[in-house]
Amino acid sequence: MSEKEPTYNEAAQRLETIVAALERGGMGLDETLKLYEEGAALLKICQRELMSAEGRLNELRLEDLEHELQAQDAQASD
Amino acid sequence: MTGRGEVTTGPLAVGQFVSMIKRTLVQEPLFQRQTIKGEVSQWKQYPSGHTYFTLRDHDGQISAVIWKGRCTIHPTIKEGSVVVVTATLDLYVKRGNIQLNVERIEPANTLGAMEEARRQLVERLRHEGELDRPRKRPPFAPKHILIITGAGSAALADMHRLIENRWPGLRRTVIEVLVQGERATEEIVRGLALSRRLATPECAAQRGEPPVDLVIVGRGGGAPEDLWAFNLEPVVRAILASPIPVVSAVGHESDLLVSDLVADVRASTPSNAIERCVPVKAELEQWQDELNERLNHAMIRTFGDARRRLVNLHARLKVAPLAGINAGKRSMLTLRSNLDRAVEATFARERTRIAGLEAALESIHPQRVLERGYAMTQTEQGDVVTNVNMLEVGQHYSLHFVDGTAQTTVTEIHTNEE
Repeated sequence: MSEKEPTYNEAAQRLETIVAALERGGMGLDETLKLYEEGAALLKICQRELMSAEGRLNELRLEDLEHELQAQDAQASD
Repeated sequence: MTGRGEVTTGPLAVGQFVSMIKRTLVQEPLFQRQTIKGEVSQWKQYPSGHTYFTLRDHDGQISAVIWKGRCTIHPTIKEGSVVVVTATLDLYVKRGNIQLNVERIEPANTLGAMEEARRQLVERLRHEGELDRPRKRPPFAPKHILIITGAGSAALADMHRLIENRWPGLRRTVIEVLVQGERATEEIVRGLALSRRLATPECAAQRGEPPVDLVIVGRGGGAPEDLWAFNLEPVVRAILASPIPVVSAVGHESDLLVSDLVADVRASTPSNAIERCVPVKAELEQWQDELNERLNHAMIRTFGDARRRLVNLHARLKVAPLAGINAGKRSMLTLRSNLDRAVEATFARERTRIAGLEAALESIHPQRVLERGYAMTQTEQGDVVTNVNMLEVGQHYSLHFVDGTAQTTVTEIHTNEE
């Protein structure tokens, strides 16, 4: 897996694979422990992703948002 | 209504009869909201605000009325215009007149030209390969949805309601734009341009939110011309230019707009867009709980197995040396008894052989020979005479018997050869 944080779906798919492998069994303790730790970390990512999807509800008029972003641009160029 | 089989007692009043016709006409679905093309004649706009005209072609004609404020009338419509109307058949009982109540009227050439432009746009897009381009996949669980639609529209209310049902509190930004009329195209394009800004990490960071990762652009159902902005090239190009997935969610299920053809996801309605792009959070949570349980269970089982194996090995290890010694002991005993048996057998065999030898020795002892009646001759020097050639005539010899000795002198010698 790349350094970039996996997306929810990537994390979920990898997690499914890990759980299935652990359930099949037949691995050494080292490997089992490693997979378990990876799985637990992925589960945390999934949980965090669910939490992070919650936020504000903005209803903005087109012009207002345009003005806001223009103001941002002006600030940035200062 | 008087049924066919009913017996009438007298003539029908004409008003009653015309009312019967009206009831039959308005029940016929074919006569409801029908789209009809024809030429305008006797076009009269009254001060009351109602407009009366006749819709006609070579083969027929029918009266029509546009009630005041019922629909907008394109300024180019005049006597002789070819128009397309959406109208419902009605019968004015007092006069016995059949007429069309017009709900919509458009110059036919305008609609035709629009249709032609749309057809050409689709052809161009097909030629450019935009219709078959690989689509961007919407995120499995969007973190920030941008909705571009009409302010306070029923479509927006539906989307909000569905989102709250599926994922309460899901982060979303709504950009309110005009979705019909002359300025709709421009505003939708500007909305999509803003969505590109909000999708950049820099802009998102400044606003303190995650970048927009999904755009839903659309509106509720309406007449074809009300949805037309979504058939126009600027909107279509803006959708194609989006770096993040765009869902086209326009009108009803049966409406197919050019925006639908190029979007990453074609939703049949605004509600459908939410159903397709917003997962049910409770289901995801349940799935996570299940996976968590399975993960822990698999872990516990694996380590439980390992521990049991360890305990088992330990128990076996403890008894292993004893078992070894016992086995050694057992095999030593076996060896010992085998050895004893072998030695015993050897001794027995030797004893038998010695006994045999003793018996043999015994039988050849001289004494035993003398006992059987033989005598042994010895010279005076004590040698045992074993043949006649050792004898000499006139010499003295001793004869030994079993029980005594005698002295003798040899007088004659005969050998067996003589």
